[in-house]
Amino acid sequence: MPSPADRSPPILLRVAVLFLLLSTASAWKKDEFRNCDQSPFCKRARGRKPHSIPSLSAADVSLSDGAVSARLLPSQPLRQNTAGDDPEADRDPSRILLLRLSVYQGGVLRLQIDEDPSAPRRRFQVPDVLLPDLDDHRLWLPRLSSPAAGSSSSFYLADGFEAVLIHDPFEIQVRRKGSAEPVLSLNSLGLFDFEQLMVKKNDGEDWEERFRGHTDTRPHGPQSISFDVSFHGADFVYGIPEHASSSLALRPTSGPDVEHSEPYRLFNLDVFEYLADSPFGLYGSIPFMLSHGARSSSGFFWLNAAEMQIDVLAPGWDDSASPAKGRIDTLWMSEAGVVDAFFFVGPDPKDVLRQYIGITGTPAMPQEFAVAYHQCRWNYRDEEDVAAVDAAFDEHDIPYDVLWLDIEHTDGKRYFTWDRVLFPNPKEMQGKLAAKGRHMVTIVDPHIKRDDSFYIYKEASEKGYYVKDAMGKDFDGWCWPGSSSYPDVLNPEIREWWAEKFSFQSYVGSTPSLYIWNDMNEPSVFNGPEITMPRDAIHYGDVEHREVHNAYGYYFHMATSNGLLKRGNGMDRPFVLSRAFFAGSQRYGTVWTGDNSANWDQLRASVPMILTLGLTGLSFSGADVGGFFGNPEPELLVRWYQLGAYYPFFRAHAHQDTKRREPWLFGEHNTALIREAVHVRYSLLPYYYTLFREASVSGIPVMRPLWLEFPADKETYNTGEAFMVGPSLLVQGIYEKRQKSVSVYLPMGQSWYNMRNGAAYTGGISHKLEVSEDSIPSFQKAGTIVPRKDRFRRSSTQMVNDPYTLVIALNGSLAAEGELYVDDGKSYDFEQGAYIHRRFIFADCKLTSIDVRPAKIGGKFSSDCVIERIILLGLPSGAKKAVIEPGNREADVELGPLTLRGGSSLVAVTVRKPNVRIADDWTLRIL
Amino acid sequence: MGACLRISLTISCLLLIWISASASIPSRESLGIAPQDLSYYKSDVIKCKDGSKKFTKEQLNDEFCDCPDGTDEPGTSACPQGKFYCPNVGHIPLTTFSSRVNDGICDCCDGSDEYNGNVSCPNTCWEAGKVAREKLQKKIATFQNGVTIRKQEVEKAKQAFAKDEAELSKLRSEEKILKELVQKLKEQKERIEKAEEEERKKREEEERRLKEAERKANESKNAPEESSHDITDQAPEKLSELHNQDAMEDHHDSAVEDKNDYTTGTEISDNQQVANDHDDTIAKSGHEADGRSDGSSFSHVEKQHVVEAQDNAVSKANTDYPGTEEELSSHVAEQGQVSDSTEGLSREELGRLVASRWTRENAAEGNDEVNMAKEGLEHDEDIREENHDGYISDSDEDHKFEDDDLEDDQDAEFGEDHEEPTGAYSSDEDDKTDYSDLTVSGSSSWLDKIQQTVNNVLQAFNFFRRPVNISEAATVRKEYDDFSSELSKIQSRISRLNEKLKYDFGKDREFYSFYDRCFESKQNKYTYKVCPFKKASQVEGHSSTQLGHWDKFDESYRVMLFSNGDRCWNGPDRSLKVRLRCGLKNELVDIDEPSRCEYVAILSTPALCLEEKIKELQQKLEDMNTGQPSAHDEL
Repeated sequence: MPSPADRSPPILLRVAVLFLLLSTASAWKKDEFRNCDQSPFCKRARGRKPHSIPSLSAADVSLSDGAVSARLLPSQPLRQNTAGDDPEADRDPSRILLLRLSVYQGGVLRLQIDEDPSAPRRRFQVPDVLLPDLDDHRLWLPRLSSPAAGSSSSFYLADGFEAVLIHDPFEIQVRRKGSAEPVLSLNSLGLFDFEQLMVKKNDGEDWEERFRGHTDTRPHGPQSISFDVSFHGADFVYGIPEHASSSLALRPTSGPDVEHSEPYRLFNLDVFEYLADSPFGLYGSIPFMLSHGARSSSGFFWLNAAEMQIDVLAPGWDDSASPAKGRIDTLWMSEAGVVDAFFFVGPDPKDVLRQYIGITGTPAMPQEFAVAYHQCRWNYRDEEDVAAVDAAFDEHDIPYDVLWLDIEHTDGKRYFTWDRVLFPNPKEMQGKLAAKGRHMVTIVDPHIKRDDSFYIYKEASEKGYYVKDAMGKDFDGWCWPGSSSYPDVLNPEIREWWAEKFSFQSYVGSTPSLYIWNDMNEPSVFNGPEITMPRDAIHYGDVEHREVHNAYGYYFHMATSNGLLKRGNGMDRPFVLSRAFFAGSQRYGTVWTGDNSANWDQLRASVPMILTLGLTGLSFSGADVGGFFGNPEPELLVRWYQLGAYYPFFRAHAHQDTKRREPWLFGEHNTALIREAVHVRYSLLPYYYTLFREASVSGIPVMRPLWLEFPADKETYNTGEAFMVGPSLLVQGIYEKRQKSVSVYLPMGQSWYNMRNGAAYTGGISHKLEVSEDSIPSFQKAGTIVPRKDRFRRSSTQMVNDPYTLVIALNGSLAAEGELYVDDGKSYDFEQGAYIHRRFIFADCKLTSIDVRPAKIGGKFSSDCVIERIILLGLPSGAKKAVIEPGNREADVELGPLTLRGGSSLVAVTVRKPNVRIADDWTLRIL
Repeated sequence: MGACLRISLTISCLLLIWISASASIPSRESLGIAPQDLSYYKSDVIKCKDGSKKFTKEQLNDEFCDCPDGTDEPGTSACPQGKFYCPNVGHIPLTTFSSRVNDGICDCCDGSDEYNGNVSCPNTCWEAGKVAREKLQKKIATFQNGVTIRKQEVEKAKQAFAKDEAELSKLRSEEKILKELVQKLKEQKERIEKAEEEERKKREEEERRLKEAERKANESKNAPEESSHDITDQAPEKLSELHNQDAMEDHHDSAVEDKNDYTTGTEISDNQQVANDHDDTIAKSGHEADGRSDGSSFSHVEKQHVVEAQDNAVSKANTDYPGTEEELSSHVAEQGQVSDSTEGLSREELGRLVASRWTRENAAEGNDEVNMAKEGLEHDEDIREENHDGYISDSDEDHKFEDDDLEDDQDAEFGEDHEEPTGAYSSDEDDKTDYSDLTVSGSSSWLDKIQQTVNNVLQAFNFFRRPVNISEAATVRKEYDDFSSELSKIQSRISRLNEKLKYDFGKDREFYSFYDRCFESKQNKYTYKVCPFKKASQVEGHSSTQLGHWDKFDESYRVMLFSNGDRCWNGPDRSLKVRLRCGLKNELVDIDEPSRCEYVAILSTPALCLEEKIKELQQKLEDMNTGQPSAHDEL
């Protein structure tokens, strides 16, 4: 019998291939993505032993321009144990690297290493990520101390910290003053390697790389960089998103007792049905790692947008007899770029965050509506569907603020257009939502349909605004619309052009209540290598895609966000959700964890993922509630709403093949549970908005790992199931079906109040709690005051004038503190001081409201809102009334419930209708 | 009223005053309270309805939530679980959520939900009420007319049901008689054949003897030709059979369909008998093969046969199968050998392929061959699992072998039978036309005539005549064939009637006429066809997708469910939920796919115009006219 292939025409063979691939489409495709062994730079660097390659030494160390400069030369004599290891061994030894060390305010050391300017080609340095005024914060180094024999040079870094450059082999250390033990060090293990650019010597030289039928021409040859960084005194390291994991701390990827693992990969990719636990790279990359231990915290950031692979090495990975204790070694490998790295000295974890935010920028202050609940689906089909979903929220008394439209709303996936049949009257549709205080978001992706009748395509095409392929033609890749080109957003001029497209004149059918979603901006290219753009595609300034890949989505996000800013004449805060991200994305908007799946593991993984994003600057982030792929069982959906209600970004989303899952579709009981979960978020909106304000000033995220708030409590260091919302609330997710009880560790130092029934719990121990279906466990820390609004409306917009409730959880000395931040919720007037910022202090049975705005600030914002209810947890009974000053007014005190839901019991002393204005100074005494 | 003028409520109270001036607004004590509830709030100390607490009259509507269930704040937004009543004089009173009170949006047509002055809501109750009343009046009129039509329908159904039952019992008795006749004819035929056989043997024996003698005479010359003669003698006969069949196909559009219909009892005329026999053998071998469902095994065997015959006309139908079993199985075999590689694909194919993971759509959209083959593969499995009557339902050619397309064709022919020009039509035309010559009209002489004929035939045949009279033998055979096919037709009709009568047609059998009907609606590029008690499909051009097979009525005959339709790739089986509502015509008015592959439709029909509902509607209208509150709750 002949083989089937012999009999079949070629088309049928393809059919078979297609069928085979399609039939297995429901699994993550490991083979489609390169692993470390398939990337020569990674394989080579990963295979090295400490001190096994020729070392470099620092020469001509000197101060210039207030910074340290030196040249890196091969150490003398060359070590001889390197035969065969390195193809670059035969490099011109006269070529040197230039090193520069500079210091910035607040405990930041910057290390830059690049080739001599005489190199054949300039290596890419990522622009527009570091804050433009960063240099204003650089410290002018007055002197260098060089101890005996000139073997090292040290200089001031921050109070209590110094930086040391050890000359031969060169090594950078950050130390506490007077201590020989470093906090951070680079090249302590001698793994530093820098492949310098070469010019092709002969035609026979083959630098091409092939992967699954794709060829990378690599015209400039190998150019990778790798080095080791050690975190001393660290128990755990965190950060370097984006990876899906059930663990908040980064698990070791190499060394004894580590099962075969890939390094953590930072390479922005559109991964179909990603796994809940894998070191493979997802949609975004932030090469920023934090360490934390009982003694201190520190951080390291490498500004580099090329593919990066990072190993976290388990103690003993180098086969040394006595593995270093309390030190975590890491190996950083990048395919291209330069060394532009930052060391953050801490010592408190919040200091590390502030130091990182100090160079990459604070998170943008979102509009108030964006902090509320978002309803999304691929796709709300037409205007009728939109109207019906909108009406059903009202019918079921579930608030929501934003309705989202995915790709199908467009005319053939041409963004900025509308399907005429399905969405004939987009403005009217948005108007109807806006009349209820609601907003709409439409999707705008970077792939531009190659269609001359599409004005965006035509314009960009004529202007030469697309990324070019290796041959110099407009790159042509396949995405939703079919054959597509991609705007070269690395170019500021093209970003400006792109931003203009969001003007109301240009984006026909858009209204001021419409905001934007950037998806697929890794960029996703369906027929590209690893579903993305070929590395040898060419960007502005002859930059190869390999050099800028991880930042493409960032620039796109930036351009879109600036577009919305322009659209509103700089008066309206943009809202742009992006899937791809890079260091600095926090300045431009929101991100989410991409196409997750409707299963319990992914519900669990969402918390470490969002916490990691928060630690690396992206405070405003969330995961698709319900899970994008697949159909969540009602219990999972309810649990996801209960957890998602605490995500900084709270959006439900679903794949187009999934069953409808709007909150009211699973029976009266589940509807009530979801309504309750959404209500929890809406009642906490004043608290959340205050936290967003804090994040926009300090970079401290809204959703925080426990150890960020309790850095001394070792029990919290690797908690990825529970998290803090701000400084006051602790939330524990429920991640298992029909879970009956859960063990929750409540950090030490304070007691905790259950947020539903007011029950008090001791801190510092694990409590086994019964779990009901009504809610997930949540606690308010004693000593805090949380502002709420307990009246529910259709959307947050209608809550503006509603009165507040203050929940005061008293600590052992019957004291508590909390804050409330209020502004107009949409404009930038707050930058001029147009906001209310109060601190509430309760002590000695007296509650005081204090204005915490800087004294000299101008700007005007006021509110007639009052506080209608004050709930005191932990106050001994016996209170009779409250007296309010000024005015010597009295208010009733009685026993009341903690929340206004049916069946609540009367558990807390409640001040009835104090009706003090939030804008005013006042005191309230409990008598 | 004075009590509320505390500092806390200055603003709202000022507004209350403003509103009281502009419209008649209830006082604080009655704000948001339904009239029938007013008495509950009479006393000085009032209980929360959930029993959790008590509150004073002072605390009623004082903008502070005392009862978690909202009892104390019917007129404010203070309690999240509260309900607000707006009288809406001139229209219907409305009970809405407390969250709507003073939220800046006018919810009650009388504006009573917005009294804090942030927005001013004009009283639109009279206009809105007028519109609503007119609408309601129209609805009542529809119901009243509908009830009449429904009564007629029910009456018709009653008759039709009785008729069907009568027919069934009649057919049963005919079946019995016919069976006997056929048995007799069979015996007769066998006897004739036996006689013929004996004659033949004798003749052969004689010929043999003659030949033997001849051979002996011419021994050296003619010997070798003999054996091949027999074969060539028979071959032309077989070929002519096939030609006969071809001719039928050429001249008769529905020849292929007729073949298929052998199972459902098509009238078989004399000149089609050969084809029918042919089908019989196919059917047998089909059933022997693997006992699969009729449709698929038929196509399968049909194909084999045609391949053997090497006949162009017929094999055309075969090659039109996009993915015949042979090809498909070869694909399946290939799968083992093709590695998980995309390298053989063009860049566009790769792009489509990857996109298809998210869309779960056909990766090779625009490439029909690939498309159909893929669908074919997919459906192949379905067929094995489900008793599916289409071989590959997404390709048009094979629809020739599907019942519902037969109906389509015949639909066109028998257009005059359409009862509903608005897209409803009979789904069982073939039944009616096929049996027009049978006893449906109750012609009592028919059986007598048959019996007479048979007796004549039987008596006419003289067994003692030798040789057997050839024309008489042929007559017996023909009669046997005719009557056994009549019998099978009757049997098939019986089983169809049995099938039909076992369904639940509603409590008044008001859906009886639906059995023979389909309803159609065109939406953009799709035509949706809903055939109650049978199936529903979505047709786009030449391709048809099964949305579901009849499942049942649901929600006390207000919903028709169709389930187990074609499988969505990587998704659920398609299904359709048809919501029924009162209307004067049977009309499919709306169809939608809210979730992928889960369809919903609305069918208006007089069957849902129930008399008892009219009273309810009239009461509602009366309430609206008098402005009296009713217990109606818009929530």
